Amino acid sequence: MGLFDGLARWLGIKKKEANVLVVGLDNSGKTTIINHFKSEEYKNHDIVPTIGFQVEKFKTKSLSFTAFDMSGQGRYRDLWQAYYRECHGVIFVIDSSDKLRIVVAKDELDALLKHPEVQRKRIPILFFANKMDLRDAVSSVKCSQLMELENIRDKAWHICASNAITGDGLDEGIQWLTDQLKDVLVKK
Amino acid sequence: MSAAETRSGSTEEKSDKWLDAYRDPVASLYTFTQCITLADIQADGDWKLIIADLGTGMFNMKLKVYKGTNLMSENTIIDLPTGVVTFYMDLNEPRTPAIAVASGPYIYIYKNLRPYFKFTLPQIEVNAVEEDLWNQMKESSLNVYVLREMLEGMRADGTPLTVRSLRFLQLQDGADMVAFAEMYKNTPLKKQTVITCLGTMKKSMAEEDAISCLIIGTESKCIYVLDPEAFTVLATMPLPIVPVFLSVTGMFDVEYRIVASCRNGCIYTLKRGTTDTEKSFIELNSQPVGLERIGKTIYVGCMDETLQCFTSKGKKLWTVQVPASITTIEVLDYKTKGFKAVLVALSNCEVHLYKEKYLVDIIKTDSVVTGMRFGRFGREEGALIMTTRGGGLIIKILKRNVVFEERDLTGGPPAAQNVKLNIPKKTKLFVDQTMRERENAVAMHRTFQRDLYLLRLRAAREYAKALDKSMNPISSDPTEPLKLAAQVQGIGPVFKMTVNLQNTSLSQASVNLLITFDFDDKLYNFKKTYIPVPMLVPGLNYAFETFIECLSDKGVSDNVKVYVLKEGKNIPIITGVISMPVSETLVVV
Ligand SMILES: Nc1nc2c(ncn2[C@@H]2O[C@H](COP(=O)(O)OP(=O)(O)O)[C@@H](O)[C@H]2O)c(=O)[nH]1
Ligand SMILES: [Mg+2]
Repeated sequence: MGLFDGLARWLGIKKKEANVLVVGLDNSGKTTIINHFKSEEYKNHDIVPTIGFQVEKFKTKSLSFTAFDMSGQGRYRDLWQAYYRECHGVIFVIDSSDKLRIVVAKDELDALLKHPEVQRKRIPILFFANKMDLRDAVSSVKCSQLMELENIRDKAWHICASNAITGDGLDEGIQWLTDQLKDVLVKK
Repeated sequence: MSAAETRSGSTEEKSDKWLDAYRDPVASLYTFTQCITLADIQADGDWKLIIADLGTGMFNMKLKVYKGTNLMSENTIIDLPTGVVTFYMDLNEPRTPAIAVASGPYIYIYKNLRPYFKFTLPQIEVNAVEEDLWNQMKESSLNVYVLREMLEGMRADGTPLTVRSLRFLQLQDGADMVAFAEMYKNTPLKKQTVITCLGTMKKSMAEEDAISCLIIGTESKCIYVLDPEAFTVLATMPLPIVPVFLSVTGMFDVEYRIVASCRNGCIYTLKRGTTDTEKSFIELNSQPVGLERIGKTIYVGCMDETLQCFTSKGKKLWTVQVPASITTIEVLDYKTKGFKAVLVALSNCEVHLYKEKYLVDIIKTDSVVTGMRFGRFGREEGALIMTTRGGGLIIKILKRNVVFEERDLTGGPPAAQNVKLNIPKKTKLFVDQTMRERENAVAMHRTFQRDLYLLRLRAAREYAKALDKSMNPISSDPTEPLKLAAQVQGIGPVFKMTVNLQNTSLSQASVNLLITFDFDDKLYNFKKTYIPVPMLVPGLNYAFETFIECLSDKGVSDNVKVYVLKEGKNIPIITGVISMPVSETLVVV
């Protein structure tokens, strides 16, 4: 971190920057969630399935985010690990209405948690139990039980039910993540 | 290694290959493989599970469609379903396939989850006599008992009857028969076949969503090809026997192949333009319970607990014995990895996965699996749908990074066989020897041949000499057929020698014989050196004895010869050579 950056930050001119990795199965709503945080002029109105990954930037009151929106399609999931090293936090999006694939999401989460780059780091993980508006959706409590989140002991985590289309629940989640990241970034 | 093994062994659920997506042991789904299919019927990328539920077999037959694990639609089916397929019947957008359910002589078509069309198979001609009988019934000129007797007779002769007649024959009570006849006699007699199996075949394009024909196998020993747009029969192919399982590939307008396994335990192949289906193409030694095809190989699960594999030409490639009877088989085609194998459900609550003839995985379930379908379900590529005998539904998902060890889990050569042995280098001696053999091969061969001939010559000479001198214990003289056997008893210094003589001729007695001995008189003393032999009756065994005393206490022994002589001949008839045992020295007390 350069001297000027430090100075600027000390003076409160420049916002802190955080890299977050947005992962989850395909169709879980990752792109829609990130789209929600983008300013009006950059908003995408027609969301198509992500190929590979996309880098998006957005700001909240105290943090500026660089989000790596990863594709959740099976053949791209091996890409995720390439970004574990750089990320300060993870957003894991779950389609809470796709009960059939919660096991698949859990399997991918287990692989993520087992990865050495993730294991040696103190990164917060934010879960969105997305699509809570759908009739078949399970509650965030049930979702965290199915994902066995209580077994995550060495990472800070938080789960929010969300609706990426209306934005319900998203701000609460990002607020939690911001608080966590401020801690991490300050200690750095 | 061992820890991992015990883990997978003890908990039947934790597989390193499959994720347990869903399990409902009381889903009350009663169905079988042919009645389960997966398709994107709403063209939204979320593939649905379509099941024709047999219910109790009489009631509650339903076409059920699942979105994920939720039942999204149910349609009642009137009769027992025998097969369910999905196919594209038009070019309309969005590309939603239709569902076809085979039941009795009908195909019910559903579009957008609503009944759309019912197709009835062509009627079969009613037997003239049978028709006549019912006509007489109509005119009330026939008694129900006579009708019954006549129909009974026809059935006994093997005449295929209409469903009405068969139902009539089941009635026992006279009043019931009258009521039944009254009820139906005025409606025209019809004969309809029953669909036994159902498949699809692309019509003229190979694309995933190209228009497909329906392929229908029937109880009337026919295979029909149905046009999807006009619902007309495009082709009728007779078979020698009722088909039960179909495997269809190709395109109707181009080239196709229908493989049908039939009730006689034979598998027939129909190609575009084939006329002679009579020629049985594979004859199984047991009834098939499932037929699948991967590329050009045909996999058949049989009732004798075997999975058999054939080429498209009908040549058997291999047979594997499975540990229990097979309930159903299904192909696992995992496209993202290009992995194809055959799932075999067994009556011991296991599903075995065979990659060619190698068992690569075993799935344990809590009930016997009777129906299976592998394919895309929801948004997941590798989903395995299993229904159980108890009416349960199990859904497993193949792990994304799964690797199947393409070697047998059981049997096969032990690992040690592949370990290289530490073989020492060739020595100089070995190399020299090899060189010498290479250079002098001809000479060595000749020497060997010469020695071999010399050996044979010597053997022949000795044999001739033995014959000459009658030095063998069986007489070679045809006029005196005798057999001699001598044995020595005792531990010495006195031995007893017994000479057994037998006349081996059938009728001719031997006379004028005598026995004498040849021995070293410094070593042995014979009590009798000359034994006259009485007349020998054919077949009887005569024993002659003498005592021999060993004169030496040096522990030496020698051979003793026994001669059987004929008076007036100087060559013995037979000779026996006995090697005497070493005499024990007298213990002086
Ligand atoms: N009903 C509902 N639909 C959502 C929600 N979030 C996303 N979707 C829809 O889910 C689909 C996939 O979203 P997308 O952001 O592309 O998922 P991604 O593959 O994870 O990036 C889109 O059709 C979204 O409109 C939600 O909270 N509720
Ligand atoms: Mg996306």
